[in-house]
Amino acid sequence: MDLIYDFLAQVQASSSVLARWDVVLALLVGSVGGVLIGAIPGVGPAVAIAILLPATFSMDPIVGLTVLLGIYGSSMYGGSIPAILINTPGTAVNALTTYDGYPMTTRGEARRALSLAYSSSFFGGIFSVVCLIFFAPILAKIAPMFGSREIFLAALLGIILVVTAHRKHTLIAAAMACFGIWLNTIGLHPASYSKRYTFDQSWLSGGVNLIVVVLGLFALSQAFTLLHGDDEKVRLTKLKGSFFQGFRELARHPRIAGISATFGVVMGMIPGVGEFTAQFMSYTYAQKSSKRPEDFGHGSSEGLIAAETANNAVPGAAMVPLLALGIPGEALTAMMLSVFYVHNVIPGPQLFQNDMDFVVALYLALLILNVLVVAFLLVATNQLIKVVKIPNRFLGVCILVLSFVGVYSLRNSLTDCIIAAAFGIFGFVMKRMQLPVVPIVLGMVLGGIMEVKLRSAMARVKTPLDFIDRPIAAILFGMIVLVLALHFRRVWLDYKERKKDEWQISHASTSFPAILSRRRNYILTERGKKLRAKRKTFSRRLTDKD
Amino acid sequence: MSDEITEHPDRPQRGQVLFAALFLICATLLLAAIEDQTKWLKGKDFFAQPRFWPAIGVGGMVLFTALHFWHLPRKPRRLPRWMREADWFQWAESLFWAVLAIGLALWLGPIAAAPMVFLVAIIRVTWLYQHWTDRREAKIWASVFEWAGWFLAYVLLVPLIGYLPVTIAFSLILTWRVGYRSRLMMWSAGVFAVTVVLVFKSFLQVKIPGAALYEYLPGALRSFFILNF
Repeated sequence: MDLIYDFLAQVQASSSVLARWDVVLALLVGSVGGVLIGAIPGVGPAVAIAILLPATFSMDPIVGLTVLLGIYGSSMYGGSIPAILINTPGTAVNALTTYDGYPMTTRGEARRALSLAYSSSFFGGIFSVVCLIFFAPILAKIAPMFGSREIFLAALLGIILVVTAHRKHTLIAAAMACFGIWLNTIGLHPASYSKRYTFDQSWLSGGVNLIVVVLGLFALSQAFTLLHGDDEKVRLTKLKGSFFQGFRELARHPRIAGISATFGVVMGMIPGVGEFTAQFMSYTYAQKSSKRPEDFGHGSSEGLIAAETANNAVPGAAMVPLLALGIPGEALTAMMLSVFYVHNVIPGPQLFQNDMDFVVALYLALLILNVLVVAFLLVATNQLIKVVKIPNRFLGVCILVLSFVGVYSLRNSLTDCIIAAAFGIFGFVMKRMQLPVVPIVLGMVLGGIMEVKLRSAMARVKTPLDFIDRPIAAILFGMIVLVLALHFRRVWLDYKERKKDEWQISHASTSFPAILSRRRNYILTERGKKLRAKRKTFSRRLTDKD
Repeated sequence: MSDEITEHPDRPQRGQVLFAALFLICATLLLAAIEDQTKWLKGKDFFAQPRFWPAIGVGGMVLFTALHFWHLPRKPRRLPRWMREADWFQWAESLFWAVLAIGLALWLGPIAAAPMVFLVAIIRVTWLYQHWTDRREAKIWASVFEWAGWFLAYVLLVPLIGYLPVTIAFSLILTWRVGYRSRLMMWSAGVFAVTVVLVFKSFLQVKIPGAALYEYLPGALRSFFILNF
């Protein structure tokens, strides 16, 4: 009971923070802007947040963070629109929505699919925020137990999870995470003031700025990709009627919605895991427990609910490691971390102890945001879907113009712009080859955290076992070992499966020289000659007389 | 994640070998420079050494990229027939590697020579495994330099001519350049440019310096332009 009273008192205190006009404006801009950005295929929340970051530095922390959080939380709502209507996910996490959303559109049920997507997204968002608001007091009790070594281990776990989450790309993802760690070490070493990898260049002695890298890797590379590519022809279906029926249909699947949202919350809280794993797990669960599993992938409403609920439950939960420990779990929260640093608000256990109002205000903002977004979508979907028609290369021009604001307003430095352009080209190359760039950003952020925390943790450690003698450190260490063990087991199983497949489908080569050589062998061998002789008796050579 | 490298046994996906090789070469060069570029301080803890984290970063880059390179689906280039069939050629190559490794080790010392030998080996392997699609892909990568050039030209011109005029000109010219010539698109580009400047510079007051050209404007107009556009 005490917890609930505490919580209500917090809400009362925090709501005064939210009642300011600039926060309300930020909520509106964030929610509407996020939906719009999500609805345009090719502009994800990462691009928008990267561009807006420097602009938010001049705002109050709560205002700036509300805008960014708004874009993060609402872009997935918008992303489901093109995923359902034109089979192109608006943001990367809506990819699973196309599996069941688009087949529903082809059946003529576009409106049903959209309203289901909105209602399940809404449920996921609200569920996660409510869970987290109730967790907040408990988190505030647990967070102070995290000392340097626990935070180091949590960051290490995050980096390992990010790497292992890129299935089939684990090695290059690990290389990219190390690249990020190295990038972060460039410049002066803060503890000893010795130069590291500056090559005696003055512009490198300040280090490589995270925001410049992020803008290059996400915004500029996306602009280059769009400018390089072609426009897609889009045909839109006209939507009629209201979007309220989805809520009724969602109410018929409380089990799937509840469990998917729980997966979203849990996966969101673990750094480095995020939407994809949550969606994958909830979709698999929904399929296995469904009465009609064969419908999945062909327009199943349960599949749509599982995918959309899980991905919208993540943003709220992803704020937990960020706020409580200062450890971002993915690229977007890593960008938000820089907003905290600029305002000298250091997220971590102290934030929960001293600034609980701020934390609860953020959660309340997320709650209000979800309501705003759904209200906006219920009214404006028909007008909104027209943004899908913006041609790709024009979008590229727009992103390039906006990226300039992002990079140049940071320090008015030409060097920053050149570095960002270089990372833009690098990101473009990575995108062309479908290699992951997120580990670079997380490597930079988590690498910095690990460096500082390991240094202070090792000062009090005598033997290696001292490092994990506290309960939370031991649990985290156990988790790291478990994750690595599971990963290597999967690699081994994949290897065995691949070998088995190779043996099973080994067939004769289909290359033209090989066919010719087989033909020659057939003609020249004794057995070939015999066979031809035998067949000759059954089918004599055709002549004109026959 | 849906993005996977196609595992067609005959045809590696375009550019993968080239990218891995270039990244590996850069990483190896960085690793070779670690002694020069970082310091090992006496009397400091192992984990607090300034060289510790760069070593993890660069070492990891070399190790994991090399493994990635090793695991790529790839197909050796078809060498000319005389190369394939000549025993002496293969003997000569092996001998060359031995001489190179031993020679460099004697000259530079084994530790400094190791990255050099590794580097030459990467170049040799890349030459053997690169596919003609890699070269086509490299041309596409190079074509992006045009857009990066546009962006840098934009950055260079803003402090000289002014944010508003350069933004309008940039978005109009670039829209024209990428192939949209209709009146609607040109107007959209112009309106977009003006909106961006008004929102970011005039309303949000983002830090973008006033242009050198604005200095020539008369009194009140000058400060108005420097502040808002």
